[in-house]
Order: sequence, then structure tokens, then C-alpha cells
Amino acid sequence: MKKILAGRQMVKSFGEGNEKRRVLDGVSVEISQGEFVSVMGPSGSGKSTLLYALSGMDTIDSGEVSFNGTGLSGLGEKQLADLRRTDMGFVFQQPTLLKNLNILDNIILPSVRDNRKKTRQLSEKARALMERTGIGELENRSISQASGGQLQRAGICRALMNDPKVIFGDEPTGALNSTSANEIMALLSDIHRTGVTILLVTHDVKVAARAERVLFLLDGKIAGEYNPSRHTGSIADLDSREKQLRDWLAGMKF
Amino acid sequence: MYFRAIRNGMVKNKGISLVSVLFIAAAAMLVSLATVLSVNLGGAIDTLMTRAKTPHFMQMHSGRLDLERLTSFAREETLVDEFQVVEFLNVDGALILFENGSLAGSVQDNGFSVQNSAFDFLLGLDGTPVQVSDGGVYVPITYLQEGLAKAGDRIRVSDTWFTVAGFIRDSQMNSLLSSSKRFLLSERDYASIRSLGTVEYLIEFRLHDLADLGGFEAAYTSAGLEANGPTLTYPLFRMLNGLSDGLMIAVILLVSALVLGVAFLCIRFTLLAKIEDDYREIGVMKAIGLRVNDIKKIYLVHYAAIAAAGSILGFALSFAVRDALLENIRLYMGESDTSTLTPFLAAAGVLLVFLVIVAYVNGTLGRFRKISPAQAVRFGISGEPSAGGKAFRLSNGSFPGTQVFLGMKDVLARKKLYITMLAVLVLAAFISIVPRNLYHTISSEDFMTYMGTGKSDLRIDLQQTDDIAGKASEIAAMMESDGSIARFVVLTTKTFKVKHPDGPGYRLKVELGDHSVFPLAFAEGRKPDTENEIALSVMNAQELGKKVGDSLSLIISGQERELSVCGIYSDVTNGGKTAKAVFSDPSADIMWSVISAELVDASLTDNKVMEYSDRFSYAKVSDIGEFIAQTYGSTIGSIGKASYAAIAVALSLTVLITLLFMRMLVRRDRYPIAVMKAFGFTNADVRKQYVARSVFILTVGMLLGMVLANTLGENLAAALIASFGAASFTFVVNPLESYLILPLLMVAAVLAATAFGTRDAGKISISENIKE
Repeated sequence: MKKILAGRQMVKSFGEGNEKRRVLDGVSVEISQGEFVSVMGPSGSGKSTLLYALSGMDTIDSGEVSFNGTGLSGLGEKQLADLRRTDMGFVFQQPTLLKNLNILDNIILPSVRDNRKKTRQLSEKARALMERTGIGELENRSISQASGGQLQRAGICRALMNDPKVIFGDEPTGALNSTSANEIMALLSDIHRTGVTILLVTHDVKVAARAERVLFLLDGKIAGEYNPSRHTGSIADLDSREKQLRDWLAGMKF
Repeated sequence: MYFRAIRNGMVKNKGISLVSVLFIAAAAMLVSLATVLSVNLGGAIDTLMTRAKTPHFMQMHSGRLDLERLTSFAREETLVDEFQVVEFLNVDGALILFENGSLAGSVQDNGFSVQNSAFDFLLGLDGTPVQVSDGGVYVPITYLQEGLAKAGDRIRVSDTWFTVAGFIRDSQMNSLLSSSKRFLLSERDYASIRSLGTVEYLIEFRLHDLADLGGFEAAYTSAGLEANGPTLTYPLFRMLNGLSDGLMIAVILLVSALVLGVAFLCIRFTLLAKIEDDYREIGVMKAIGLRVNDIKKIYLVHYAAIAAAGSILGFALSFAVRDALLENIRLYMGESDTSTLTPFLAAAGVLLVFLVIVAYVNGTLGRFRKISPAQAVRFGISGEPSAGGKAFRLSNGSFPGTQVFLGMKDVLARKKLYITMLAVLVLAAFISIVPRNLYHTISSEDFMTYMGTGKSDLRIDLQQTDDIAGKASEIAAMMESDGSIARFVVLTTKTFKVKHPDGPGYRLKVELGDHSVFPLAFAEGRKPDTENEIALSVMNAQELGKKVGDSLSLIISGQERELSVCGIYSDVTNGGKTAKAVFSDPSADIMWSVISAELVDASLTDNKVMEYSDRFSYAKVSDIGEFIAQTYGSTIGSIGKASYAAIAVALSLTVLITLLFMRMLVRRDRYPIAVMKAFGFTNADVRKQYVARSVFILTVGMLLGMVLANTLGENLAAALIASFGAASFTFVVNPLESYLILPLLMVAAVLAATAFGTRDAGKISISENIKE
């Protein structure tokens, strides 16, 4: 399979002097096109930092990151922004919607930037996505008039607007109850089945178990990699995968 | 813990806190100065007029004088305490030579007097009546200030030399606005030069009680005594003495109100932003049972500290500056007797500033009561709906650009926050436009038409001479044949008795002739066109209680004649009490004539003035441009300077507030900025949004500022100009300057400040700020 994302010997530190801490300590990863990868690890292990580094939102101190064969270190701020807008989608723990805009405007915002003249078509596309994610009735609501789960769906709609090659998720279900979380994950699995690459950071085993591959990060290094057998996607199958992953995690010494 | 969090937050906003302190200091300083100046001015005028024993009533008179009749009137009139007739020897300015030049170009009537024995003393700089020895002369203080003379200088009057022995404060004629200036000589020297000029009499009275002035004026008029000249009274002298410094005080008060307004805006701005930041903390404090007053106290203490620091600083600064501003008052009027009180009054003024600020902060903090603890704790954002711009949607597609849309949307959604910046920009537009318009207005050649004089190049006065009518026609004949004179008019002033249903007669000075040649600006109505029409000056209209359309009866050639009032105009000439009409009157009893002329080539005015002066030695020929330059030149000049200063202040204010505002916005908007960057907006996109916000607010602000400048500003300026005597006027606007250059300057200032203030937007890290 073609490699869509690759990081080699990534190093990233935070803090100054004695407080300086290596959050990524020589991490290398490769992610193939169409793959669904989860990243797990305890708090402070560098999960989110890895995601920000691979998506070009943060720079790294040393090492290399490439997206679809292009090295990110050679790109300027504008090109990185263009890349995020056209080829990547993001879902965060909080919905990260702008409170000045209603839900529909929030969803079309990144795509409208480059296609002002196609506002009507984009709005239609957004409405279709909203229908698909079950929030069709919310387009004119302000964000204070929707629940956390609904807002997270709106965030996913926004991430899908530009038909991204990769969706990055940073604890996308972290702020939701288990019912909403299951629904969101089912949605992301559906999106994955259409061929979109997904990289997800989570500490929830149930969420990670949906991935094709799980990376375990500890103290800025990849401490292990879990490759479950192929699965059918049924509920029973999910439960067994979750159990297997738990067993594997229990074997990780941290 | 929350207390500390809030307090720390306020310490972080050092920049804006410092700016608030500075504006409060400036406001406190100005209020303190205005207090000190008013007290000193009032006190100094009182002291000067008390020591000089200024007349309560003075009638200037040229021509024959019946001293016996006047004396018996004064003896029999019970209201009179003291009475004297003193001489004022009016000498042509060209005959008075200083070491630095003559007074030939002076528009003042310069003349000589001797020290009076009973009252109306001319005081030396030590505040006591001056005694002059032979060969010495005391010079009006104004010439010391203008640098024309200093003690020990030699002055030549025609062929006689005098030495400047000192300077005098003249409680009647100190002010540049009074048209005569008195030099003081010894009795012997006075007698020796008496033949050089014409004698004008000052008929002066002091009353037992100043309150009886109105009754006395009526008695004097009805007695039909000498009255060929202006009448002046004690309150008028007081006003003339106070006017120029009084104007300065008024301007200082106006500026201090503006500065205090800006301080309010700064405080409001930080306070609202702070309340929004601390929304959750405030909610938590309310939730755990703290009382609103306890929470308010935390904020109030901080702002009281800022207000106190500013007030004390301003009070201290006012002491450093006050002497410079008091210099003029001290020079012209001497020390005030009330000066010991002034520091306390100034402190009271500053205390008032402090209290007003604290009350304002307290009022603004009242909105704490509206914060719902539940909502604050759950959402951490203020629940106030973003009222504005709901219909303004990205999905409608009807917007000029994504970044422009987002910028404008933010302004509409957070109106309360942006209204502060809007107010500053409105203010800045206002204070940059109004003084410029005022300057263009009073420096415009048409301005004199608001002051009782038509617009012409040359003016010839025939006064205090015999056969005025004959001499006027002689000059007119020469002008008629003079090819360089485009047009001219002879206006003759005569007095007529007004028939009054009750009380004594009133003598009205009426200027007769063709008023269409050099027209005046009328406050109401229009110029007289027919024989039965008359136009009155504002003062006369008030005194006679007449409006446009009323009728007025004059005794003309012994016959009563009904005239209708066709117009009312402002006038500063001849004591402001004039009238204009076109009827013909055969009587030869002329007070004076004025011949106004317009030249084909105005640049030749100088030559023409010389030519006519030489040809007609009995006439006073003046260059109108020169006349204006001397009378109003310094005022026009200072308003010009002040208007540039106002532009500088407005632009600095714009830059400062925009800069602070943008920095604060960027700091508060870290989260949405991080979100937008995460989803692929570039730093340039984000900055464009801020520029869009600024330009949007600026556009609204400037439009409002221009509208205000042409409404409120014009009225304010009218009030100021009314103090010069013009009752009504319209702004002369230089459109290029007011509607192009000034707005462009403001746009440049705002863009620069926005660009600089949003520099940090690019440095905002996505990963650090996206987790709210």
C-alpha cells in the first residue's frame, strides 16, 4: 500500500533548561493510505504531540515528517495551512466550533475560504453530510443550542467537507457519554470504509479497538504495536477485539 | 484562590492599566488647572477692578461737551456716587514711534491720558496707581507682551521724546478686544502734545450701588446728555477682561471632559473584557455563596488604585504647569487676592474626578448581578445572546470575502466590546474635524460678514471731523474715477430716537446706504431693501425686544415713521448696537461715514491704502486684511495651531487605543484563532480578519464622527464663536481635508496599529490553545 503519512526519528521537547522534557524521543511511524490507526498510551506519553507533528500543526526539533511523499519541514506556514485545509480533516476532544457562527456556517467555513463562488453547492454538500450524521435539523442553530454529541458530529461534517485524505482525531469521544461515543465511532468507521485514512489518539480501549492497528506510546517512544486479526465489524466482533486489546495492553509494562 | 486569579489577571494587563492611569492623570491635571485658572482669573479681575476703581458707567463722547449740564446732572441724580470727565487724546498711530517701529499699522485707537484723581486709576505692575514724572511715559501692558517696548526705551510722539518709565494695567482697556489703548503722561507733558490729536471725552460715573446700573443708564439716556460714542459699563469691562483667558479655561474644561471620556472608555474596555474572562470564576464565587458586593470589591479596589494613582499624578503635574498658564493673567491683571484657597479648590476638583471614576466602575460592575452561577459554571461563556448579525450568514453567499465576513461577523456578534473602540474612533474623528472646520471658518474671508462688516478690501473711516458728508462725496468722486476700484459704497451712520411706548427714548445708531454692495450674513431674515425696512444687530434686537416681522417707530426729521424689522445680524463693531436701513434722511447730523471698496486686484491693497491716506489726511484708511489679521490674527493663529494639535492627539489616540484593543483581542481570541489555523487558515487570513474588524469599525466611526462634527460640532463651535459676537454661522468645510485627507490619515493610523497589534496572532500555537 502507498504510504500517506511517514515520520522518521521525530524528536520534540518542551520547556527550558532543567525543566526541558523530551515528549517525542525519536519516534518513527508509517501509515498507509486507507489505514485506520489508533495511538494509545498514558497521559504525557506524547500521543497528542505525535498527532500535531504528523499533521504539521506543530514543528518538530529534529527528524522528518512527510505527507503523501512531501516533506513537511520544507513547507512554509501558508503551504502547511493549505495542506491542512485541502487534504486533512480534524476532530478534537472539544467540538472547536466558533461561537459567532451557526452550525452550518461552522461546517462550511474552511471549504468556503477557497471556493467563495460555490457557497450554494458547499451548503448543499454540508446539509447532506448533516443528514448523514443525524444532525440535519440543526443547520440554523447556534452552537449553544446543541448537545456535545451533536457538536462533535458537526465537527466531523466540517472535517469531511474538503474530502480529506486523512482524518486526525484527538480524543474525539473524550467529552462524550458512552452512547454518543459509540455513535461517533460508528460514524468514523463508516467514513474509514469509504477509503479515508484515520489516525486517532485515544486512551479509551473501546475506541482504539476499532482500528486496524494500535500503536502504544510510552515516554516519547513507541513501546509496542498491536495488529488484530481481520474483523467483520459486528458488535460481537467489536467486543472480542476490545477484550484482546485489553489483554495485550495488560502485557505492556507501564 | 479566585481572588488571586483575578488580581493576577489585572496585573498582567499592565499596558492598558498604565494607559488608564495616564488618561486619568491628564484629566485630573486639566480639571485642576481649570479650577486654578478660574479662581485666579476671577480673583485677579476683581482685585484689578477694585484697586483701579473702574467706572460703573462710561459714555465716550467726541465733539462739544457741556460740562456744566453734566455736573448738575451728576449732582442731582441720587444714584451717583462719583463723577468725572476725563480726556483721551487720540493720536494717529503713525505719530507714535517705538524703537522697534511705529504704531501706524495698529488698529487700536492709541491715545494719551493723565492719571485720574478720584477713580479709574491706571495701575502699575505693583497694583498701585502710577504717578508719572515729566518726560516719562507709561505704556499699555499689551505692548510689553508684544515686545514693542521695554522699560527705559525711548518713544517719540511727533517731535517730543519720552522715556518708558513702566507699564500700566488699564482695567478698562487692557483687553485686545477693547479698541482703545491709553498711554499715561504727566499733566505738563500732556498739555504740550494736546494739539497733536483729537480729544475724546470719557464721561465716567461710579454709583453707590452697582445694582442700580440699569436705572442709571435709562436716566442718562432720557436726560439727553452727551452720547456721541459707545457706552460701556462695569459688567462689560469685566467680561472684556475675562474673555480671552476665560476662553482658554473653557477650552481646557472641554478637553478635560474629552480626556476623562477616553479614560472612561479605557476602563470600560478593560473591565468588560475582564468580566468576560472571569465569567466562570465569578459564577463559581457566586455559587459558593459570596455576595456580589464582596466580588465587586476585588475589582473596585483595583480601579480605585488606578484612579487614585492617576489623580495624584495629575494633581502634582498641574502644579508644574500652572505657572506657565497663569503668566498671562498675572501680567495683565496681577495677583489674585484669593490665591491661598486655590490648592484646596483644585484638590476638590481632582477628588471629583476620582469619585466620578469610582462611581462609574461601581455602576459597570452592577452587571455581576446578571451572571447566572449555573450558566457560568457549566459553559464558562457569557450567556448573553450574540444579538447582532444573525441574518448575516456565510451560507447566504452575500458577503465580500471569507475573512471580511468573519471580521464583520465578530464585530456584530460582540457589539458591546467593540463599541468602546467605536466610541474612541468617533471621538477621534470629531476632534480632528471640528477644530479644522472652525479654523477654516474663522480664517475664511467671509467670516467678517458674520461679525457686522461686509467683505471688502479697503475701508475708509470718516469720524470726528467736520463736513463728513462733503468729505465722503469727495472720496467717492475720486473712487468713481479710479479704475483700480471695482466697486465701493458709502455708508453713513446717524442716530435716531426710537419711540418707545413706555419709558424714556432710546437712541439708535442706523447705518444708511446701499447694503447690497458688500452684504452681511444675517442670523435671521434679510437685508433692508425698501425705505420702510430696518435690520437690527442682535444686541439691539434683544434690547428693544424685537423679532423679524415686528415694527419699530423711529423719529426721522421730527416725524414718527413706522419701519418693519426685516433682519437681525451679529455685530461686533461699535459696541454691537447697530442697525441698518436704506431710507433717506436729509439731516446733516452725521456721526460717521464708512466707505468700503473692493479693488480689481486685491494684491494692490497696500498701495491703495497709502494713496488714499496721503490724499485724504482727515480719513482713517485701513486694509481690511490687515484689520482682521490684527484683531483676530492671534486667535486665528492659535486655533490653527490647536487644530493641528487636535489632529495629532486624535491620531495618537486612534493608534494607542487600536493597538491596545487589537492586542487584547488577539489574546482573548487565542482559542478561535487556534481553531481556524488548525483547519487551514493562514496567519495572513487571521490578520485580514482583524483588519476587516478595524476598517469596519473605523468606517462606522468616521461616518458618525463626521455627522456629529457637522451637527453637534457646529453648535459647539457656534457657542465658542458667539463669545466673539457672531450669533450664527455655518461651517466652512474644506472637503479635501475633512473628507479625504483626515480620513486617510485615520485609516493609515488604524491599519498600522492593527498590523502591529496583531503581530502576535501568527505566534499562537495551535496545540497549546486548541484545548479550551
